[in-house]
Amino acid sequence: MALVNPEFAAELKAYGLDTSLECFHCGSCAAICPLIHDHFPRKMIRYVQVGARDQIMQQAQDLWRCLHCGLCTHTCPRQADPGELILGLRRYVVASWRRAPGV
Amino acid sequence: MFNPKDVVDLLALNVRKSRNPFGVPNSQLNTWWREAAAFTRRPGEALLFTGLMYQAVPYLEAATRYLERLEDSDFADYLRFGRLSRYLPGLLVGRGFSLLTSRAEKRKFNGVLHSICRLLAKSGVGFFYHPDLDFYSGILLYELGDQDGFVEHARFVARTLKLHGVRQVITVDPHTTYALKELYPKYAGEAFEVHPYFTRLRLPPRRANGHEPVAIHDPCFYGRYLKLSHSPREVLRSLNLEYMEVRNCGEFTSCCGGPVESVSPALNREILGRRAAEFKACGAPVVTTCPICLANLLKAGLPVEDLASLVVRYC
Repeated sequence: MALVNPEFAAELKAYGLDTSLECFHCGSCAAICPLIHDHFPRKMIRYVQVGARDQIMQQAQDLWRCLHCGLCTHTCPRQADPGELILGLRRYVVASWRRAPGV
Repeated sequence: MFNPKDVVDLLALNVRKSRNPFGVPNSQLNTWWREAAAFTRRPGEALLFTGLMYQAVPYLEAATRYLERLEDSDFADYLRFGRLSRYLPGLLVGRGFSLLTSRAEKRKFNGVLHSICRLLAKSGVGFFYHPDLDFYSGILLYELGDQDGFVEHARFVARTLKLHGVRQVITVDPHTTYALKELYPKYAGEAFEVHPYFTRLRLPPRRANGHEPVAIHDPCFYGRYLKLSHSPREVLRSLNLEYMEVRNCGEFTSCCGGPVESVSPALNREILGRRAAEFKACGAPVVTTCPICLANLLKAGLPVEDLASLVVRYC
């Protein structure tokens, strides 16, 4: 069972993620993403919105599959900037790894 | 796929140690200027800032050849021991890389910088170059999420340039251009006037007789992030060089896969295969403006060259 934390999105602002709540899950980003992989990046944005930190950490490796090509951001109808959100999540995960180097 | 943590840690260590992602001294990586005559060290209006990207490609390709064999094998996990390279002197690492990179490869990519120099000189641009003021921008650290490492490195670069009175820079690749133009003001607290070299070209018009049309591959950073796709096209038009568009171009260009190569050479191959198929279907030789895209598309077996290498032949 995943624990949710509605405050998580606010916590992530320190890592440059301040548009995650703009997303309304139309799926444009996942449709245009060259990875064609498991609802990426929409799925990660959903995790941020509901505060599913554990899910993000468990699937962290997927964040580094992102090409940072910017197609998702370019086509997002809500200016939620999915590309920047993925980049922000990488920052968050790297910072978490460094706080707990044994993980 | 390699463990991103191992990749990030290794690159961060190398940038801290040598100010570039390979852990080799910059003086070994950056040798193109010794054979380039078309610039002066000073005076000059703008600093030519290569960001060491073209120079790095042969090293990157050498590293990737080995990483490709290790990926998803039992040995992939050994990348975490890469951190032990901190105990190796940079010169020794550099010597190792030297043995893995061919002179022809280095000459090919350094040659693009020579062409850029010639084009700028021909356009009457007042520029200068100094190898001690040319640094890697740190963009890979930013893209991989090592924000602290990127900010530390960017501040070092920005501070050094400011200290030497640099206000205007001419860049040669999209990654360095984006870093200096968009990221340095935000994260390093220093702003420079940044001009990609092709925006400064003013070449005398020439009719390029017998030249076959080229297909343009727009790098993501120029196409979407910086919205500069029109500029290389203007250069081609000014010389009457014909070009054609593939379906995914300009702001909707397709990524070549290069950015993911450091964590997954296999994923890079997959994305590259799709982009290469678009160009193969179009049949024309390809032109691009990014060293990473250039190396990647070459790897796909496409007839591809850099914009500068093409243009310099017609002016």
